Amino acid sequence: MDKKYCVYICTGCGIGDSLNIEKLCEVPEEEGVNVKTHPFLCGKEGLALIQKDVDDKKANTLMIGGCSRRVNFDKFRFDGCIVDRINLREQVVWSHPRSEYPAPTEEQKDDEEFIDHVQMLAEDYIKMSMAKTEKIELPEAYKLENFSNRILVIGGGITGLSSALDASKAGYKVTVVEKENSLGGYVSRLRMQMPVESPYETLIPPIIDSKIKEVQADSNIEIKTDTIVARIAGQPGDFTVTLKKPGEKIAFDVPFPVPEDQKVDENGKDLDVDQIAEIYKKNNEGREDILTIDPDGERFGAVVLAAGWRPDQLEEKDYAHLGIGSIPDVITNNQFEEIAAKGKIKRPSDGKKAKSVVFIQSPGGKEDDSDFKYCGSVTSMVALKQAKYLREDYEDGKAYVIYQHMRTPGLAENFYKSLQQDPGIFLTKGDVTTVSQEGASLIVKAENTLLGNKIAIKADLVVLAAGMVPVTVDDPIINLAYRQGPGFRDNDIYDGYADSNFICFPYETQRTGIYAAGCIRRSLTIEESMEDATGAALKAIQCIESSNRGVSVHPRSGDMTFPDFFFQRCTQCKRCTEECPFGALDDDEKGTPKPNPTRCRRCGTCMGACPERIIGFADYNVDSIGSMIKAVGIPSEDDFDEPPPRIIGLVCENDAYPALDIAGMNKLSYSANVRLIPVRCLGSVNVIWIKDALAAGADGVFLLGCKHGDDYQCHFVKGSELAEIRMQKIGDALASLALEEERVAQFEVAIDDYDKLPGIINKFAEEVEALGPNPFKGF
Amino acid sequence: MSVEYLVEPDLDFINQVVGLGGDSLKKCFQCATCSVVCPISPENKPFPRKEMIAASWGLKDKLVGNMDIWLCHNCGDCSTLCPRGANPGDVLGAIRSYAISEYATPKKLAQAVNDPKKLPLLIGIPAIIFFVLALITTMFGDNLTALLGELWTHGVDKNIIAHTNFISTWFVDLVFVPLSIWCTVIFALGLKRFLADMYIDAVTQGKVQNPELNIKELLKSVPIVLLRIIKHEKFNECGENQERTTAHMMVLFSFISLLMVTGIFFFVLYLFHIPGPYHQYNPVKILANIAGISLIIGSALLIKNRLAQKDQVSAYKDWYLIGLVLGLGLTGMATEMARLAGSASVCYFTYYIHLIFVFNLIAFLPFSKMAHFVYRTIAMIYAEYAQRQ
Repeated sequence: MDKKYCVYICTGCGIGDSLNIEKLCEVPEEEGVNVKTHPFLCGKEGLALIQKDVDDKKANTLMIGGCSRRVNFDKFRFDGCIVDRINLREQVVWSHPRSEYPAPTEEQKDDEEFIDHVQMLAEDYIKMSMAKTEKIELPEAYKLENFSNRILVIGGGITGLSSALDASKAGYKVTVVEKENSLGGYVSRLRMQMPVESPYETLIPPIIDSKIKEVQADSNIEIKTDTIVARIAGQPGDFTVTLKKPGEKIAFDVPFPVPEDQKVDENGKDLDVDQIAEIYKKNNEGREDILTIDPDGERFGAVVLAAGWRPDQLEEKDYAHLGIGSIPDVITNNQFEEIAAKGKIKRPSDGKKAKSVVFIQSPGGKEDDSDFKYCGSVTSMVALKQAKYLREDYEDGKAYVIYQHMRTPGLAENFYKSLQQDPGIFLTKGDVTTVSQEGASLIVKAENTLLGNKIAIKADLVVLAAGMVPVTVDDPIINLAYRQGPGFRDNDIYDGYADSNFICFPYETQRTGIYAAGCIRRSLTIEESMEDATGAALKAIQCIESSNRGVSVHPRSGDMTFPDFFFQRCTQCKRCTEECPFGALDDDEKGTPKPNPTRCRRCGTCMGACPERIIGFADYNVDSIGSMIKAVGIPSEDDFDEPPPRIIGLVCENDAYPALDIAGMNKLSYSANVRLIPVRCLGSVNVIWIKDALAAGADGVFLLGCKHGDDYQCHFVKGSELAEIRMQKIGDALASLALEEERVAQFEVAIDDYDKLPGIINKFAEEVEALGPNPFKGF
Repeated sequence: MSVEYLVEPDLDFINQVVGLGGDSLKKCFQCATCSVVCPISPENKPFPRKEMIAASWGLKDKLVGNMDIWLCHNCGDCSTLCPRGANPGDVLGAIRSYAISEYATPKKLAQAVNDPKKLPLLIGIPAIIFFVLALITTMFGDNLTALLGELWTHGVDKNIIAHTNFISTWFVDLVFVPLSIWCTVIFALGLKRFLADMYIDAVTQGKVQNPELNIKELLKSVPIVLLRIIKHEKFNECGENQERTTAHMMVLFSFISLLMVTGIFFFVLYLFHIPGPYHQYNPVKILANIAGISLIIGSALLIKNRLAQKDQVSAYKDWYLIGLVLGLGLTGMATEMARLAGSASVCYFTYYIHLIFVFNLIAFLPFSKMAHFVYRTIAMIYAEYAQRQ
């Protein structure tokens, strides 16, 4: 593309009042770049002005100075053109008021020592934009050679079947695999289920039968029972799936990576690459490598993971005081359901009618009010439901529920209310201390109840609320032929649930193209599972409809760029393969990465990781950001007696950048010595940028990104965490340059922390200023 | 204390309380708003939260002998502010009703008093008794006068309109004197059990500061509490439902006055052989007339209040009692009016009805809601003595 540059400056929204537009126009003009101004650029006339240049082929690389890129993006969209937005409004004039940073008076206009901070800031942003647009290209979408739009649903329970039906109704071919020999899953083994519609008061028969019939009658849906996934190879839009019978051993069983503890010898010393490769081969003998595609495999575009849960096994050693394992009439809610499904509630020990049943929702203990593991609202409601079974079976039945938390969210509250009305159902909060056998009865003792401090209840049967363990705790299930391993990585931070960012991105897993629904994602009721199924089906469809056009699915939906590798210079260090949060990269035997663009979410973590800097995107690469950094004017003592410091801020565009915009909208001001550069994710920050900045004479660099750790908010799971690790390592490099470590910092912010941002930025600016100017300034 | 309380819910108890107007009891989710807003609940172990959970768990043993159900004056603040519509005030009322039946013997009669289907029976028995007595008086009055003379007539001229000429005073008293004794005995038996239960409950639950039970000391609290009742101090502390204070006061004072009038009449008749009807300017008659009118107005006001209270349940037990009180007043006054107007037939007919009401009042006193005046007074005396704060 033959770039024709043009800068457009909007003078509306206070920009023209604050800045010397004439002087600002000189910046591009000096470089021989056209500049046009307009008082209302996003209006009809303003847009027409730009469109005319585009139509007349006078400009195709547009730098638009005005509002933030986060607003009016639909208006400033010119197909076939590179568009860069220069944020003169939120991050220049709105956040740097003239009351604080005065404009020069008539006398000061020719004073060479006068520093017009706001003007310099605006000029720098225009220079940075020009540097950037020089280094970026218009992206071209990545097109898969082979493409499938079929959807694989793993799990034939209520969630899987609902998802299959939803996808089918939207016109997609679906294959459902179920490991058991019949459809229906857990729901088919229930006596009754929670209500699914208004008024949410009474139990209803399980609705699974009608779902099964509906699925069986659907010509778009293929059902494979007694089947599991041996491996899923390839990438979204082009998955090759090998199916098998449970328990079978086949060549296309997925190989497992070498576990960490096998990567060291007896003395704890790291084994070398060849030794690890040897162990890998031994561990996975008889299994084909991940890059070998099963010629008989079935092709799918996306996967819905609805493999569900299993009841938790409550061990005697963990809950000895509750008598589980030692007293035959202490059972789990799952066992109770099995008894209830067979007929009236009877005791397992002697088959006698169980008319007094205590449901224990929390294991108890005085200092700990936590529930059984993997418990939640569903187990609360199950206890209520099962209490109702007892009352249906026996007119004089008494059901006691002792809980620490009774959770009945949403309209399930109605169900709770209606059950509460039953004269034979007794509810209390309490710490259960012991369950013991006395003659033919059980005695349940509890403290801190609503009835007073210490109570005892005589029971025929005691039911413990065993939690709903997602099956991903035991098994990868999806068996991905990915170099990072067959399952989800670091899944323990989600307690084994198949999840990637629960709040922001439901259904998303850490693997693009695999969408989780139902109890594998979190414990859900039948009604909630069906709703979840719809969500995941829509996600799978979105994935297919994005992969086929070569654009990113999420969260950069529609992004046409993808990481490009300059393989000639690759040293096979595998850092990109290891660090990619989504396992997008595989590698061959030599260790050369093999990109799978449709697995990629375009965060750029690989680009940040690559020590050779051979990874980049068409519109976002090491050079483009590096050039922006170098374009920042660094005033030295040659320019001013007291030159102002310069600080570079690399800002995550997901939360931190909008937070800065919001600060601007609220007219919160912060240091004018800071130059902000948006990055896709802190994970994409390559340390060379920091070195570039400091070498160019910038006094400090800070990274502004999302929280990391257990309750991380990073949109790409690991980006800000990886950035932190890299920043720790940069300390040594700075020391060798005789630069203080304090010149580089990383801050965590959430999108609603806009009010805290000025404080964070100003504090850092003051600290950097206190260190004195960067000694490299002026070199 | 390390002994656990063995929880043994009584489903039948729950169903009965529900039937007695406590149908909302299971709605309680134990937020304790009721105990917080109650203006008369003590700070130590306040009611009615704990009564609500005990009721919804069917723990009869924690409720019938519990003095707190009687310390409640049914203001209704708790019911008005209950976020769940559990109406603790009504539930406590239902529990009180249950407790009255529980302490009264025979049980069958207690159940009949609370059962609207048994109302014809409750009315029918006295109706037959007094019909027979009226027949005897009117048919064999002359024979009896001839036989017994002044002793029979108390010197009342048989040609004037006087109640004794329709149903002999002897017959009336022969019914009501034993009935009153019976009623007192039933109360005494019930109270003995109630006091023992209340004492054990108060001490084991740590509700009171004084764990001893000294009857002599207990009696010292009587005047304090009686004065408090007369002044309706607790009623005045209520947030809601303040307007019923006046009405209740009128009814209470009327009953006290009418009891005094009846007593004076009885002694004057049998000791001094001076029969009624008294002259209208007789101080006793004036008191009787004022009390009669105030009984009618008071009970009418109570009815009006109840009808206006949308968020308070009025059960059969409530209507039975108020109806009885109003009926007593109306028939009493109507009898007098008819007598003064010189209409013997109207006078005697209303007197007949009046006697049926009086029979209901006295005979079923230990079983009806009316018994509250005994149980609540005793509970308040004990609470005062034992320092329930």
